[in-house]
Amino acid sequence: MYSYALSGLTVASEVPLPGAHAPPPGSPAADVTIRSARVPALLPGATAHGPTWQNADQHFLIRIPGVARFLLSGGRDIAFEPEAGADPADIPIFILGTVFGILLHQRGQIVLHASAVAVDGKAILFCGTSGAGKSTLAAALVQRGLPLVTDDLCALSLGRDGAATVHPDGRQLRLWSHAIDELALERGGRMRRRLEKYYVEPGGIHDQPLPLGAIYALREARPPHPPGISAPNIVDAVLTLRRHAYRPRLINRMGQDASYFRAATTIANATGIFRLTRPLSFKAMPAVLAQLEQHWCDIGLCQRAA
Amino acid sequence: MRTFWLASYPKSGNTWMRILLANLVAGGGEAADINRLRGGFAGARPPFDSVTLIDSGLLSFDEIDALRPRVYEALAAGDAGDTTTDDGSHHHRDGADAPVHFVKVHDAYHLTSRGEPVLAGRRGPEGAVVIVRDPRDIAPSFAHHGRMDIDRTIAFMNDSDACFCGATDRGHQQLRQKLMRWSEHVGSWLAQRDLPVHLVRYEDLQRAPTATLRAALDFAGWPVSDTAIERAVALSAFDRVAAQERETGFREAPHKRSFFRRGEAGAWRSDLTAAQVARIEHDHAPMMQRLGYPLTSAPCLSEAG
Repeated sequence: MYSYALSGLTVASEVPLPGAHAPPPGSPAADVTIRSARVPALLPGATAHGPTWQNADQHFLIRIPGVARFLLSGGRDIAFEPEAGADPADIPIFILGTVFGILLHQRGQIVLHASAVAVDGKAILFCGTSGAGKSTLAAALVQRGLPLVTDDLCALSLGRDGAATVHPDGRQLRLWSHAIDELALERGGRMRRRLEKYYVEPGGIHDQPLPLGAIYALREARPPHPPGISAPNIVDAVLTLRRHAYRPRLINRMGQDASYFRAATTIANATGIFRLTRPLSFKAMPAVLAQLEQHWCDIGLCQRAA
Repeated sequence: MRTFWLASYPKSGNTWMRILLANLVAGGGEAADINRLRGGFAGARPPFDSVTLIDSGLLSFDEIDALRPRVYEALAAGDAGDTTTDDGSHHHRDGADAPVHFVKVHDAYHLTSRGEPVLAGRRGPEGAVVIVRDPRDIAPSFAHHGRMDIDRTIAFMNDSDACFCGATDRGHQQLRQKLMRWSEHVGSWLAQRDLPVHLVRYEDLQRAPTATLRAALDFAGWPVSDTAIERAVALSAFDRVAAQERETGFREAPHKRSFFRRGEAGAWRSDLTAAQVARIEHDHAPMMQRLGYPLTSAPCLSEAG
């Protein structure tokens, strides 16, 4: 078995998970086990389902067509069965994305669709749907010397005192070749044979849990929304956090409404949930970064050498 | 609620139709906000990720297409997932005040590699209002929208591989949408036998908006009074939407350019050179004639069929 630390959990896996980090010495026994096994096509007693997934009490079945079927049980076990003709190298990629994201939902954890960097020892999250530019923005900040906290999937926990902690997953950046070229980064291994998406080694990473600094929901600047950073009111902040859950429709299905509500109100009051509205062009990137650095100073997260 | 496609090649009046529909249900004599138009959009990415739970950014175009029918089935069943955004884009589901949910689509009616209609065939929306426009008027409008010169636009309109968001080296906010050649696009919608189609010509919508809109609504089973239609037509007049765009901007406009440009039928006579007109007619003569767009030159016989 291979051992990893992912989103604050210790993971034992039969298959290597490229880009995931080894657990620190003295880590507890595995929280999550990943192994190859027979996975049924249908889940008995499913109470909710979509075209690719079924949810029963303690079990969740998801099928990535042409890749594998995954059965997630009790937030502890992931079984996978490759589909006919699957490229074995594709399986860990979906385990580290969709599958682990759903597992975190199953564990009742707050999990956001976000990339994050560390500023002054605090995690700054950028939330957005697929294609919103989270990874690209994180890559541009990493390029300026900020340590990477996570890319794409971000687990949060709320302490008794209401302080939010972000659990890094230590993964590499994953970028399209166009973004790599535009940012003049060095491309690492290719993620999938059929996709022009590559791993990029961040200069530095932050692999310890760290307090939350701020959450930004990414939005493209288009009328009637001019570029800028704004703070939504508390009602919109709650909606924003829900909307940027890793898979929003699982919040309700997995009975997490109350915990997301509590997290959103606490975070909005204690640290801040903001909207970052900006043009998507690479030309605009330096101005966006400058704006962010200014905002961090405004909210008390000043980088001494910005 | 019933769901119908609002299908068209780009720059053929789809947005105008969506504004008309929005104004049918807008209350209080106020024009509908062009930045909060109703209805869904088949090219939107968030509904795909929400319905399948799979990150579309990790899938190839063909893998996405293979799953798209499942998404439109869910959409037609009123279960497109948590797709609301806070930027007013394409995800407002019609309220109880609109008995029909129209979903914009720019894809040609094409099949997956396994031969299934990407748009879900009979298992998706129950019919399609297909809007067409004279390709000679589409070309200058499309060129303006896409910042391409007119000749390149004419070539794009005659490219069987033409699509939106088709570059494989980058992420896109929308799904890849196959447009094909203009003639193929329109032909694919008219030739499919899965869904009933109601054809709307942009030029008829302009010439006789009330009767043309009435016929489309009758097809979709949306009962509405003549007064409401006339009111919607008045609120959707070109000058009014162009004024709204000048005031607030339009989220669907190209960067730093206006969306509502001329809104005329027949402007090609001044917008295109004779050679450009001849090229479009050469490329698309049979379909143009079928739709009642008279050619200025004799059609090229080799293109027939």
